[in-house]
Amino acid sequence: MTSPTRKMMIVPCSGIGKTYGTVSREAAYTVTEDLRPTQTQLVALALLVLGDDGSRTDIAECPAITIDGCKLACAAKMVQQRGGTVARGFAVLDVYRRYKDFKPSGIAELNDGGQKLARVLAEEVTAVVDGLISGKQGGENA
Amino acid sequence: MPDLPMKKVGIVSCSGEELPEGTVSRLAALKILEHLRQADTVTICLPLFLAGGEGDRAFARFYPTIAIDGCDKRCAARGTEMYSGKPAAGIIVTELVASQGLGKVEGKRHLNKAGQQAVEATAARITELVDELLHKHWNRTTGTVVDSPLPAAPEPTQASCSCGSGIPVQEVVINGKMVTLIALPLIFQQFHDSDKPVSQELPRALLESVKIYNQVPPGKEDAYAECLAREYAAFLTQQGATK
Repeated sequence: MTSPTRKMMIVPCSGIGKTYGTVSREAAYTVTEDLRPTQTQLVALALLVLGDDGSRTDIAECPAITIDGCKLACAAKMVQQRGGTVARGFAVLDVYRRYKDFKPSGIAELNDGGQKLARVLAEEVTAVVDGLISGKQGGENA
Repeated sequence: MPDLPMKKVGIVSCSGEELPEGTVSRLAALKILEHLRQADTVTICLPLFLAGGEGDRAFARFYPTIAIDGCDKRCAARGTEMYSGKPAAGIIVTELVASQGLGKVEGKRHLNKAGQQAVEATAARITELVDELLHKHWNRTTGTVVDSPLPAAPEPTQASCSCGSGIPVQEVVINGKMVTLIALPLIFQQFHDSDKPVSQELPRALLESVKIYNQVPPGKEDAYAECLAREYAAFLTQQGATK
Protein backbone atom coordinates (compact mmCIF):
# COMPACT_ATOMS: atom_id res chain seq x y z
CA MET A 1 0.00 0.00 0.00
CA THR A 2 1.23 3.45 -0.85
CA SER A 3 1.70 5.88 1.99
CA PRO A 4 -0.58 8.93 1.75
CA THR A 5 2.37 11.19 2.63
CA ARG A 6 4.37 10.13 -0.41
CA LYS A 7 3.93 12.11 -3.56
CA MET A 8 3.36 10.60 -6.96
CA MET A 9 5.91 11.63 -9.54
CA ILE A 10 4.37 12.73 -12.83
CA VAL A 11 6.80 12.38 -15.72
CA PRO A 12 5.74 13.71 -19.14
CA CYS A 13 7.73 12.77 -22.19
CA SER A 14 9.36 16.16 -22.93
CA GLY A 15 8.54 15.74 -26.60
CA ILE A 16 9.30 18.96 -28.42
CA GLY A 17 8.56 18.28 -32.07
CA LYS A 18 5.13 16.71 -32.03
CA THR A 19 1.63 17.59 -30.88
CA TYR A 20 1.32 14.55 -28.65
CA GLY A 21 4.37 15.68 -26.68
CA THR A 22 2.66 18.98 -26.00
CA VAL A 23 -0.51 17.14 -24.91
CA SER A 24 1.52 15.04 -22.49
CA ARG A 25 3.16 18.13 -20.99
CA GLU A 26 -0.13 20.02 -20.69
CA ALA A 27 -1.79 17.04 -19.00
CA ALA A 28 1.10 16.81 -16.55
CA TYR A 29 0.76 20.51 -15.72
CA THR A 30 -2.98 20.10 -15.24
CA VAL A 31 -2.48 17.27 -12.75
CA THR A 32 0.41 18.81 -10.80
CA GLU A 33 -0.82 22.43 -10.75
CA ASP A 34 -4.62 22.22 -10.90
CA LEU A 35 -6.05 18.83 -9.96
CA ARG A 36 -3.67 17.28 -7.39
CA PRO A 37 -1.01 19.90 -6.55
CA THR A 38 -0.26 18.56 -3.09
CA GLN A 39 -0.20 14.86 -3.97
CA THR A 40 1.88 15.02 -7.13
CA GLN A 41 5.14 16.46 -8.37
CA LEU A 42 6.32 17.13 -11.90
CA VAL A 43 9.66 15.63 -12.88
CA ALA A 44 11.51 17.12 -15.84
CA LEU A 45 12.76 14.26 -17.96
CA ALA A 46 15.87 16.18 -19.02
CA LEU A 47 17.02 16.22 -15.40
CA LEU A 48 16.60 12.46 -15.18
CA VAL A 49 18.58 12.02 -18.39
CA LEU A 50 21.43 13.96 -16.82
CA GLY A 51 21.25 11.96 -13.60
CA ASP A 52 20.28 14.94 -11.43
CA ASP A 53 20.52 13.80 -7.80
CA GLY A 54 17.22 15.32 -6.67
CA SER A 55 15.25 13.85 -9.53
CA ARG A 56 16.84 10.43 -9.13
CA THR A 57 16.06 10.42 -5.42
CA ASP A 58 12.45 11.43 -6.08
CA ILE A 59 12.05 8.72 -8.68
CA ALA A 60 13.71 6.11 -6.49
CA GLU A 61 11.55 6.88 -3.46
CA CYS A 62 8.16 7.56 -5.03
CA PRO A 63 6.09 5.76 -7.64
CA ALA A 64 5.97 7.43 -11.03
CA ILE A 65 3.17 7.89 -13.52
CA THR A 66 4.60 8.43 -16.97
CA ILE A 67 2.88 10.14 -19.90
CA ASP A 68 4.43 9.39 -23.27
CA GLY A 69 3.70 11.19 -26.51
CA CYS A 70 4.97 8.55 -28.91
CA LYS A 71 5.68 4.85 -29.15
CA LEU A 72 9.32 5.33 -28.20
CA ALA A 73 8.10 5.81 -24.63
CA CYS A 74 11.07 7.88 -23.49
CA ALA A 75 9.48 8.77 -20.16
CA ALA A 76 8.70 5.19 -19.14
CA LYS A 77 12.07 3.90 -20.34
CA MET A 78 13.99 6.66 -18.61
CA VAL A 79 12.25 6.18 -15.25
CA GLN A 80 13.04 2.47 -15.40
CA GLN A 81 16.63 3.06 -16.50
CA ARG A 82 17.12 5.41 -13.57
CA GLY A 83 15.90 2.86 -11.05
CA GLY A 84 12.35 4.09 -10.61
CA THR A 85 9.05 2.25 -10.64
CA VAL A 86 6.45 3.05 -13.26
CA ALA A 87 3.23 2.64 -11.31
CA ARG A 88 1.28 3.38 -14.46
CA GLY A 89 2.33 4.38 -17.95
CA PHE A 90 0.02 6.41 -20.16
CA ALA A 91 0.34 6.87 -23.92
CA VAL A 92 -1.35 9.94 -25.38
CA LEU A 93 -2.23 8.06 -28.54
CA ASP A 94 -4.14 5.41 -26.59
CA VAL A 95 -6.19 8.09 -24.88
CA TYR A 96 -6.85 9.80 -28.21
CA ARG A 97 -8.16 6.50 -29.61
CA ARG A 98 -10.82 6.63 -26.91
CA TYR A 99 -11.62 10.30 -27.49
CA LYS A 100 -11.52 10.67 -31.26
CA ASP A 101 -13.55 13.88 -31.09
CA PHE A 102 -10.60 15.62 -29.43
CA LYS A 103 -8.20 15.77 -32.36
CA PRO A 104 -5.09 17.64 -31.26
CA SER A 105 -3.02 19.95 -33.40
CA GLY A 106 -0.40 22.61 -32.75
CA ILE A 107 2.87 22.23 -30.92
CA ALA A 108 3.73 25.62 -29.46
CA GLU A 109 0.03 26.14 -28.76
CA LEU A 110 -2.58 23.40 -28.65
CA ASN A 111 -5.90 23.77 -30.40
CA ASP A 112 -9.17 23.28 -28.55
CA GLY A 113 -9.18 19.53 -29.27
CA GLY A 114 -5.69 19.21 -27.88
CA GLN A 115 -6.64 21.11 -24.73
CA LYS A 116 -9.64 18.84 -24.21
CA LEU A 117 -7.57 15.73 -24.83
CA ALA A 118 -5.01 16.93 -22.29
CA ARG A 119 -7.81 17.52 -19.81
CA VAL A 120 -9.33 14.04 -20.10
CA LEU A 121 -5.86 12.52 -19.94
CA ALA A 122 -5.15 14.54 -16.81
CA GLU A 123 -8.39 13.27 -15.27
CA GLU A 124 -7.38 9.67 -16.01
CA VAL A 125 -3.99 10.28 -14.43
CA THR A 126 -5.70 11.85 -11.42
CA ALA A 127 -7.89 8.80 -11.00
CA VAL A 128 -4.78 6.62 -10.91
CA VAL A 129 -3.14 8.98 -8.40
CA ASP A 130 -6.18 8.75 -6.15
CA GLY A 131 -6.27 4.98 -6.51
CA LEU A 132 -2.61 4.60 -5.64
CA ILE A 133 -2.89 6.89 -2.65
CA SER A 134 -5.90 5.03 -1.31
CA GLY A 135 -4.15 1.73 -1.99
CA LYS A 136 -6.80 0.49 -4.39
CA GLN A 137 -4.69 0.54 -7.49
CA GLY A 138 -1.11 -0.09 -8.31
CA GLY A 139 1.75 -1.59 -10.11
CA GLU A 140 0.61 -1.90 -13.66
CA ASN A 141 1.82 -0.40 -16.89
CA ALA A 142 -0.67 0.65 -19.53
CA MET B 1 29.61 12.24 -51.49
CA PRO B 2 26.08 10.93 -50.91
CA ASP B 3 23.25 13.40 -51.11
CA LEU B 4 22.31 13.10 -47.47
CA PRO B 5 20.72 15.86 -45.37
CA MET B 6 23.93 17.85 -45.30
CA LYS B 7 23.24 21.41 -44.40
CA LYS B 8 20.89 21.44 -41.47
CA VAL B 9 21.52 22.59 -37.94
CA GLY B 10 20.31 20.48 -35.03
CA ILE B 11 18.38 22.22 -32.26
CA VAL B 12 18.28 20.54 -28.86
CA SER B 13 16.12 22.30 -26.28
CA CYS B 14 16.13 21.56 -22.57
CA SER B 15 12.28 21.52 -22.57
CA GLY B 16 12.56 21.96 -18.80
CA GLU B 17 9.04 21.67 -17.52
CA GLU B 18 10.04 22.79 -14.05
CA LEU B 19 10.83 26.42 -14.78
CA PRO B 20 9.52 29.24 -16.98
CA GLU B 21 12.85 29.59 -18.75
CA GLY B 22 12.42 26.00 -19.92
CA THR B 23 9.21 27.07 -21.62
CA VAL B 24 11.08 30.01 -23.15
CA SER B 25 13.75 27.68 -24.55
CA ARG B 26 11.16 25.28 -25.95
CA LEU B 27 9.03 28.01 -27.58
CA ALA B 28 12.07 29.76 -29.02
CA ALA B 29 13.29 26.47 -30.49
CA LEU B 30 9.86 25.84 -32.03
CA LYS B 31 9.81 29.33 -33.50
CA ILE B 32 13.01 28.50 -35.35
CA LEU B 33 11.90 25.02 -36.39
CA GLU B 34 8.43 26.00 -37.55
CA HIS B 35 8.89 29.52 -38.89
CA LEU B 36 12.22 31.31 -38.91
CA ARG B 37 14.54 28.59 -40.24
CA GLN B 38 12.20 25.74 -41.06
CA ALA B 39 14.20 24.37 -43.98
CA ASP B 40 17.54 24.60 -42.21
CA THR B 41 16.88 23.03 -38.84
CA VAL B 42 15.88 19.75 -37.26
CA THR B 43 15.34 18.76 -33.66
CA ILE B 44 15.45 15.77 -31.40
CA CYS B 45 13.99 15.18 -27.94
CA LEU B 46 16.79 15.11 -25.39
CA PRO B 47 15.69 11.81 -23.75
CA LEU B 48 15.99 10.05 -27.11
CA PHE B 49 19.76 10.06 -26.77
CA LEU B 50 19.25 7.41 -24.10
CA ALA B 51 15.92 5.86 -25.01
CA GLY B 52 16.47 5.82 -28.75
CA GLY B 53 18.83 3.87 -30.95
CA GLU B 54 22.26 4.34 -32.44
CA GLY B 55 20.91 6.70 -35.08
CA ASP B 56 19.49 9.02 -32.45
CA ARG B 57 22.78 9.05 -30.58
CA ALA B 58 24.56 10.03 -33.80
CA PHE B 59 22.50 13.23 -33.99
CA ALA B 60 25.10 15.75 -32.79
CA ARG B 61 27.84 14.24 -34.91
CA PHE B 62 25.62 14.33 -37.96
CA TYR B 63 24.34 17.87 -37.44
CA PRO B 64 26.17 20.86 -35.96
CA THR B 65 23.96 21.34 -32.94
CA ILE B 66 22.81 24.33 -30.89
CA ALA B 67 21.84 23.54 -27.30
CA ILE B 68 19.13 25.79 -25.85
CA ASP B 69 19.10 25.68 -22.06
CA GLY B 70 16.69 27.31 -19.67
CA CYS B 71 19.10 27.48 -16.75
CA ASP B 72 22.70 26.99 -15.79
CA LYS B 73 22.20 23.27 -15.18
CA ARG B 74 22.63 23.12 -18.96
CA CYS B 75 20.80 19.80 -19.38
CA ALA B 76 20.61 20.16 -23.16
CA ALA B 77 24.27 21.01 -23.65
CA ARG B 78 25.57 18.47 -21.16
CA GLY B 79 23.19 15.74 -22.25
CA THR B 80 24.02 16.25 -25.91
CA GLU B 81 27.74 16.16 -25.24
CA MET B 82 27.48 13.17 -22.91
CA TYR B 83 25.40 10.97 -25.19
CA SER B 84 25.79 12.25 -28.73
CA GLY B 85 28.46 14.84 -29.48
CA LYS B 86 29.67 18.25 -28.39
CA PRO B 87 27.21 20.99 -29.39
CA ALA B 88 28.61 23.51 -31.84
CA ALA B 89 27.01 26.35 -29.87
CA GLY B 90 24.81 26.96 -26.86
CA ILE B 91 22.45 29.49 -25.31
CA ILE B 92 21.41 29.81 -21.66
CA VAL B 93 18.11 31.67 -21.39
CA THR B 94 18.66 33.00 -17.86
CA GLU B 95 21.93 34.61 -18.97
CA LEU B 96 20.38 36.05 -22.11
CA VAL B 97 17.49 37.51 -20.11
CA ALA B 98 19.89 39.07 -17.62
CA SER B 99 22.15 40.50 -20.29
CA GLN B 100 19.22 42.16 -22.05
CA GLY B 101 17.51 43.33 -18.86
CA LEU B 102 14.20 41.73 -19.77
CA GLY B 103 12.80 41.41 -16.27
CA LYS B 104 11.57 38.38 -14.35
CA VAL B 105 10.27 35.57 -16.53
CA GLU B 106 7.17 33.93 -15.04
CA GLY B 107 4.51 31.40 -16.04
CA LYS B 108 5.46 27.88 -17.03
CA ARG B 109 2.27 27.34 -19.02
CA HIS B 110 1.51 30.91 -19.99
CA LEU B 111 4.50 33.22 -20.11
CA ASN B 112 4.27 36.81 -18.88
CA LYS B 113 5.42 39.72 -21.02
CA ALA B 114 9.06 39.34 -20.01
CA GLY B 115 8.83 35.67 -20.92
CA GLN B 116 7.42 36.45 -24.35
CA GLN B 117 10.19 38.99 -24.90
CA ALA B 118 12.67 36.35 -23.84
CA VAL B 119 11.27 33.97 -26.49
CA GLU B 120 11.83 36.62 -29.16
CA ALA B 121 15.34 37.42 -27.94
CA THR B 122 16.30 33.75 -27.70
CA ALA B 123 14.89 32.99 -31.14
CA ALA B 124 16.81 35.93 -32.60
CA ARG B 125 20.05 34.63 -31.10
CA ILE B 126 19.37 31.09 -32.34
CA THR B 127 18.74 32.46 -35.83
CA GLU B 128 22.14 34.18 -35.80
CA LEU B 129 23.82 30.97 -34.69
CA VAL B 130 22.01 28.86 -37.30
CA ASP B 131 23.11 31.23 -40.05
CA GLU B 132 26.68 31.19 -38.80
CA LEU B 133 26.80 27.40 -38.65
CA LEU B 134 25.27 26.96 -42.09
CA HIS B 135 28.28 28.73 -43.55
CA LYS B 136 30.80 26.57 -41.79
CA HIS B 137 32.05 23.17 -42.83
CA TRP B 138 30.90 20.46 -40.42
CA ASN B 139 32.97 17.28 -40.22
CA ARG B 140 30.66 14.37 -39.38
CA THR B 141 33.45 11.98 -38.60
CA THR B 142 34.84 14.12 -35.82
CA GLY B 143 31.69 16.09 -35.01
CA THR B 144 33.49 19.42 -35.20
CA VAL B 145 33.58 22.59 -37.26
CA VAL B 146 36.54 22.72 -39.62
CA ASP B 147 38.06 25.90 -41.00
CA SER B 148 37.33 25.62 -44.70
CA PRO B 149 34.07 27.39 -45.59
CA LEU B 150 31.28 25.48 -47.30
CA PRO B 151 28.54 27.40 -49.11
CA ALA B 152 25.14 26.47 -47.73
CA ALA B 153 22.35 25.34 -50.03
CA PRO B 154 19.34 24.64 -47.82
CA GLU B 155 16.96 22.00 -49.05
CA PRO B 156 13.23 22.60 -48.70
CA THR B 157 11.51 20.24 -46.30
CA GLN B 158 8.59 20.16 -43.91
CA ALA B 159 10.24 17.85 -41.42
CA SER B 160 11.31 19.46 -38.21
CA CYS B 161 11.36 16.61 -35.74
CA SER B 162 13.77 13.74 -35.65
CA CYS B 163 11.78 11.59 -33.21
CA GLY B 164 11.74 8.00 -34.30
CA SER B 165 13.54 8.69 -37.53
CA GLY B 166 17.05 9.45 -36.28
CA ILE B 167 19.91 8.85 -38.66
CA PRO B 168 19.48 5.50 -40.43
CA VAL B 169 22.06 2.94 -39.37
CA GLN B 170 22.85 -0.62 -40.36
CA GLU B 171 24.60 -3.37 -38.47
CA VAL B 172 27.14 -5.38 -40.41
CA VAL B 173 29.63 -8.10 -39.51
CA ILE B 174 33.28 -7.22 -40.15
CA ASN B 175 35.94 -9.76 -39.25
CA GLY B 176 33.38 -11.61 -37.14
CA LYS B 177 32.48 -8.52 -35.15
CA MET B 178 29.17 -6.64 -35.27
CA VAL B 179 29.67 -3.01 -36.31
CA THR B 180 27.01 -0.28 -36.56
CA LEU B 181 27.52 1.99 -39.55
CA ILE B 182 25.80 5.37 -39.52
CA ALA B 183 23.94 6.39 -42.69
CA LEU B 184 24.75 3.16 -44.56
CA PRO B 185 21.15 2.61 -45.80
CA LEU B 186 21.16 6.13 -47.26
CA ILE B 187 24.53 5.60 -48.89
CA PHE B 188 23.35 2.37 -50.51
CA GLN B 189 20.18 4.04 -51.68
CA GLN B 190 22.14 6.95 -53.13
CA PHE B 191 24.51 4.63 -55.00
CA HIS B 192 21.55 2.65 -56.29
CA ASP B 193 19.67 5.78 -57.40
CA SER B 194 22.69 7.14 -59.25
CA ASP B 195 23.08 3.85 -61.15
CA LYS B 196 26.68 3.35 -60.07
CA PRO B 197 27.97 0.32 -61.98
CA VAL B 198 29.12 -2.70 -60.01
CA SER B 199 32.85 -2.59 -60.66
CA GLN B 200 36.19 -3.20 -58.99
CA GLU B 201 36.17 0.42 -57.85
CA LEU B 202 32.79 0.20 -56.15
CA PRO B 203 33.95 -1.17 -52.76
CA ARG B 204 36.44 1.70 -52.41
CA ALA B 205 33.84 4.26 -53.44
CA LEU B 206 31.44 2.86 -50.82
CA LEU B 207 34.21 2.92 -48.24
CA GLU B 208 35.01 6.57 -48.92
CA SER B 209 31.36 7.51 -48.38
CA VAL B 210 31.11 5.42 -45.23
CA LYS B 211 34.24 7.11 -43.83
CA ILE B 212 32.50 10.49 -43.98
CA TYR B 213 30.15 9.42 -41.21
CA ASN B 214 32.03 6.66 -39.41
CA GLN B 215 35.43 6.01 -37.92
CA VAL B 216 37.19 3.21 -39.79
CA PRO B 217 39.99 1.77 -37.65
CA PRO B 218 43.49 1.93 -39.16
CA GLY B 219 44.39 -1.24 -41.03
CA LYS B 220 40.76 -2.32 -41.35
CA GLU B 221 39.92 -0.57 -44.62
CA ASP B 222 40.16 -3.69 -46.79
CA ALA B 223 37.89 -5.64 -44.45
CA TYR B 224 35.38 -2.77 -44.42
CA ALA B 225 35.46 -2.48 -48.23
CA GLU B 226 34.94 -6.21 -48.63
CA CYS B 227 32.01 -6.14 -46.21
CA LEU B 228 30.47 -3.12 -47.93
CA ALA B 229 30.63 -4.83 -51.32
CA ARG B 230 28.91 -7.89 -49.84
CA GLU B 231 26.21 -5.85 -48.10
CA TYR B 232 25.62 -3.71 -51.19
CA ALA B 233 25.13 -6.85 -53.29
CA ALA B 234 22.55 -8.02 -50.75
CA PHE B 235 20.92 -4.58 -50.90
CA LEU B 236 20.70 -4.78 -54.70
CA THR B 237 19.20 -8.26 -54.51
CA GLN B 238 16.61 -6.97 -52.07
CA GLN B 239 15.83 -4.00 -54.30
CA GLY B 240 15.33 -6.37 -57.23
CA ALA B 241 13.06 -8.56 -55.16
CA THR B 242 10.85 -5.66 -54.17
CA LYS B 243 10.47 -4.27 -57.72
